[in-house]
Amino acid sequence: MKKFLQGVAICGALALASLPVAANTLRFGGTTPPLTMDPHSTNDFVTAALVRQVYDSLVGLTNDMDIEPGIATAWAPAGENTWRFTIREGVKFHDGSTLTAEDVAFSIMRQKESALYRAMYGQIREAKVVDAKTVDVISAGPDPILPRKMVRLFVMSAAWAKANNVEKVPDLGAQGTEAYSLRHANGTGPMRLVLQEPAQRTTFERNKAFWGPFNGNVERAIYTPITSAPTRVSALLSNELDLITDVPLQDVERINGTQGYMVSSAPQQLFMQLEMDGTRDVALDTWDKNGQPLQANPFKDLRVRRAFAHAVDAKLIVDRVMRGQAFVVGTAAAAGFGGYQKDLDVRWPTDVELAKKLLAEAGYPNGFIVQLNCPLQRYVNTEEICRATASMLARIGVEVRIKGMPWPEFARMLVNGPSSSFHLIGAAGNSGDVQDTFTSVMATRNRDKGLGGTNWALWSNAEFDAVTAELVGTFDPAKRTELYRRGLTIGKEQVHAVYLHQPMLTWAMRRSITVPARADSAVMLKDVTIK
Amino acid sequence: MFAFLLNRLAHAVLVLLVVSVLAFTLGNTVGDPVASILGLDATPADRAALRTRLRLDEPVVVRYFLYLGDLLSGRLGNSYGAQRPIIDLLAERIPATVELALAALVLSVVIGVPLGVFAAAHPEKRIVRFLMTSSVIGVSVPTFILGIILIFTFSLTLGWLPSFGRGEVVKFEYWSTGFLTASGLKSLIMPAICLAIGQIALVARLARAEMMGVLRTDYIRFARARGLSDRAVNFSHALRNTLIPIITVSGIQLGYLVAFAVVVEQVFQWPGMGTLFLQALSQTDIPLISAFLMAAALFFVSINLVVDLLYAIADPRLRIRTQMQGAGG
Repeated sequence: MKKFLQGVAICGALALASLPVAANTLRFGGTTPPLTMDPHSTNDFVTAALVRQVYDSLVGLTNDMDIEPGIATAWAPAGENTWRFTIREGVKFHDGSTLTAEDVAFSIMRQKESALYRAMYGQIREAKVVDAKTVDVISAGPDPILPRKMVRLFVMSAAWAKANNVEKVPDLGAQGTEAYSLRHANGTGPMRLVLQEPAQRTTFERNKAFWGPFNGNVERAIYTPITSAPTRVSALLSNELDLITDVPLQDVERINGTQGYMVSSAPQQLFMQLEMDGTRDVALDTWDKNGQPLQANPFKDLRVRRAFAHAVDAKLIVDRVMRGQAFVVGTAAAAGFGGYQKDLDVRWPTDVELAKKLLAEAGYPNGFIVQLNCPLQRYVNTEEICRATASMLARIGVEVRIKGMPWPEFARMLVNGPSSSFHLIGAAGNSGDVQDTFTSVMATRNRDKGLGGTNWALWSNAEFDAVTAELVGTFDPAKRTELYRRGLTIGKEQVHAVYLHQPMLTWAMRRSITVPARADSAVMLKDVTIK
Repeated sequence: MFAFLLNRLAHAVLVLLVVSVLAFTLGNTVGDPVASILGLDATPADRAALRTRLRLDEPVVVRYFLYLGDLLSGRLGNSYGAQRPIIDLLAERIPATVELALAALVLSVVIGVPLGVFAAAHPEKRIVRFLMTSSVIGVSVPTFILGIILIFTFSLTLGWLPSFGRGEVVKFEYWSTGFLTASGLKSLIMPAICLAIGQIALVARLARAEMMGVLRTDYIRFARARGLSDRAVNFSHALRNTLIPIITVSGIQLGYLVAFAVVVEQVFQWPGMGTLFLQALSQTDIPLISAFLMAAALFFVSINLVVDLLYAIADPRLRIRTQMQGAGG
């Protein structure tokens, strides 16, 4: 009986804790639940977007994806391989303790040890506390974009982590119990975590002691994951939620046309591209028109690559498949990336006759057959993009056989191979800087140097590699711009990939809500105003 | 009777073993857990390290026996995606699914049986023909479409019912129930109807067929000859004999309802085992996928075992047959 009473008391408390629609409560929903509240143990972007409300990053990120002072008020190079960060004073954690330089150093070392962040922070050797408000970050080599990378470095209380036995990032796959940091948090962010009910609900409340400006008027916020898109839209339109992320493109017009609701969108930090095998002598899954396997790799011929680039009409894909919710991309960068060059961003013109001519010159007057590996999840409308690509390439005699794969299968094909000569994929710089696109997506694969880790089609160009090598060691902004431009130009001239578009992410909300849509998909609760 | 029991138990264990092989194999074919956990840009060294820690570099047969050993000692391990012990995840999710399945079962019997009886008693009425035809539609409309139609009508247009979730729940030690709160009950209505609709049609058709058979038997004719009312004949004499097969089928259907609530749960974001399973699949969360399949199999097997035993009690011939076999062998 006592236990029963306890149960009733607890659920009473829960009922109070989750009472809907108090004053200025934002009820928002997205596709998937946050996997954890530990900012260092996942790189899932939905989780990161929610964790950002509770934890501040070392370097801040504006709603336009520019860097701004965060926990660090300033940063400057201090020697060849070192960046010196000045730590903001008077910042309080949610438990009332004061943030120190030790907390910053601890967080850098904790997050860098996570395998998920090796690509970003693996070059960091040490985070050294110089004095109460200064931390030096020492890398293995020069790292001009380290401050930009630090927008994803979340600062956690060292004492709290120690007290709760989560000094190290929880070990994945270990037998046993749940890590304390999975549903508890102690950050310095604008919102405080009230309750994390895994896979069901996450409740935040305003952090009254937040160090920075709190532009909106949200006191409380409840996040609910709803996987099924029609249900999510219905939950918004039936007033069970105030805002939803990931609106299906076909519902955009309907929501905009519903009284009291609107859609807002922002370009994602991602662009879609068709990658073509740049290394193998015999391409995988390619056949001549009689169905015999090709004994060559047509994609090693620049003329074939150019033919593909001129045959696939990215504008048409944006208009039809993406219903206008995307921008055509002409170089290996997109608006919002650090190092993006707007004037270079002009795509190859669509020209079927030229494409046919190039293909004939390359020795394929009748075209050939090729398998297009197509991921079915993760990106928007991929299946339709692949089908549109197939019909456009059919115009120049290339028969495309689409192989659709659920994401886990697609990822396995790439990671354990890569075993694909032609596929659709989204490319992005980890930190949102084009340098990351250069080093991981475009540079020649080289395990020892840690280059080309996500260069799945094995594109390789010596001149480009030289530009990349120079870029990663250059601090001078003017010189860097010059190198960005050279790299992007080589990528386009050599058709590193057939660039398609930068998708938009779309949110829908009641008209009484004002919130800036962000490229990283984070609903910044501090900037939400409820009328 | 004892031999019969042993026989059934041996069958159950065999089925579970086969499922464990399947669960293990499926877990290994849906993708690469290392690729799913670490994403695309981890270093090869980290991949190799995780592979070793997850014991993925052992030979398949060794891994299967390690897995079986873990299962037998009750160690289900941690979910890769949720980063929590699987036993906690299951304990959290099972009540939601079981309550949903029970509600659907009750609905299917309470609506299906009277429908079937009515249809058998008045086969010539136009309304009966209409109902029987529409029951075919009930069986054949995909649940997710029905779910979306329900949400569109009752949440979006009328605003009567919540479109997602389970509402407020009352938590006891090991169980959380939505039966005790108004919002819990309101949230249950649409998912339960959605899950039940196929079952209602099934039960109605079964009841009708059984009932029509029973109505032709002699004792019903005698009952009518005694001048009993239609109502008394249909419901107290005929229905009783019709119920046995319906109860059997419903019991077995409960297993299906639990296992196939997946789609309904997805549509209504019902926090049950189905949503958990789909998330696990999309993350290649092998331990969780296997655990779900084993839990579902255990559920099926237990229900079948109980039904078999109840049969044996109800039908003496079954008992005698095994005894004779035992004596003969």
